[in-house]
Amino acid sequence: MNKLYTFVEVTEITGIESSTIELFIHQNWISPVEKNSLDEEDLARVQLIEELRSRIGTNDEAIPIILHLLDQVYHLRSQIRRQQCSLN
Amino acid sequence: MTPSAASNPNPYKILGVSTSSTQDAIKGAYRDLAKKYHPDLNPGNKEAEAKFKEISSAYELIGTADSRSKFDRGEFEAKQNQGYGARNTQGNPYYYQTQEDGGRYNYSFEGMDDELLNSIFGRARTKRSDFPGQDVLYQMDIDFKDAVLGAEREIQLESGKRLRVKIPPGVDSGTKLRFGGQGHPGAGKGGPGNAYVQLNVRRSSIFSRDGDNLEIELPISLSEALLGADIKVPTIDGSVLLHIPEGVGSGTRLRVKGKGIQRKGKTSGDQFVRIKIVTPKSVDSDFKAAVKSWSERYAENPREAWIGNEEGVR
Repeated sequence: MNKLYTFVEVTEITGIESSTIELFIHQNWISPVEKNSLDEEDLARVQLIEELRSRIGTNDEAIPIILHLLDQVYHLRSQIRRQQCSLN
Repeated sequence: MTPSAASNPNPYKILGVSTSSTQDAIKGAYRDLAKKYHPDLNPGNKEAEAKFKEISSAYELIGTADSRSKFDRGEFEAKQNQGYGARNTQGNPYYYQTQEDGGRYNYSFEGMDDELLNSIFGRARTKRSDFPGQDVLYQMDIDFKDAVLGAEREIQLESGKRLRVKIPPGVDSGTKLRFGGQGHPGAGKGGPGNAYVQLNVRRSSIFSRDGDNLEIELPISLSEALLGADIKVPTIDGSVLLHIPEGVGSGTRLRVKGKGIQRKGKTSGDQFVRIKIVTPKSVDSDFKAAVKSWSERYAENPREAWIGNEEGVR
């Protein structure tokens, strides 16, 4: 779960260039825990952002709003899942 | 002509376009479908995920003029489990999947909906069984020197446990160090969360930093500037004797090699010493007379370069 990927590895896996990753960091769309590497959460988030931008055509202004809303939804889902676990 | 082998369904049909549609129309159709079926917008919905994979594979085939003409000529390779839609078959999950048990990015919402959740789940909420522990973020202020040289510190975790924090040389404010499994304990079969220590580097009253180099300002007297001197200057790990060449000017930067940030396996930074000439606080009449006669003998205009420059001062 805690595997770390260097930017080069991320490019190999996803085709997303280091400069794009740096842009995402600069925009605060991702905040990697360690310099110059991404964990699995960051990697998946980078892919989502890149899909929103290049595949779906979302403009950059909307990216942080979408991420914020998604993170809220995911948080609620994890909370609800926890409650279900405790009820069962 | 479009291949219609059962293993390769018709991408035009999947995207709802015709073989005569423009490239823009295909792109638009894909976008509309991707917005609807993207797995991160439909977390946990297997149908949407399958649909997204299908439209993404179709788009791989006819999404660009190049790939489309190949496909139309029947020269396509059935790429299995490749492209955007199918990445989690490569062991690479969708974003929502990394957040299912609470992730770093939704940690900031912790506690936000407690009231709502309590009202739905009531007292049962306190009886949790299996779930992983939360991550915990600690803040740590460190001295400038420790950020440059690296250091070891100890912090006390909420649990009372003490944790040794190794600070690598050259860290910046905002750097987060991770300690796997040192967060809140999980319940039941859930593993513990992680602890993160975010560093905040205090400013130094003497040193400033530019990348891996350090810089200080060294005040020297007029006579030291004119005659040269050997002066003890502070570096980040003790002082060194620095030779000031005679006639040095204000603003001159002298380099003390290897006294910047030293990273393992990387080129090392240096310390720069910026000269600041300080004129005497009190000047008696003898001194004034001496300077006056000296300046008459050695008339020199330090602004010579400005002469003739239209922006210059005569």
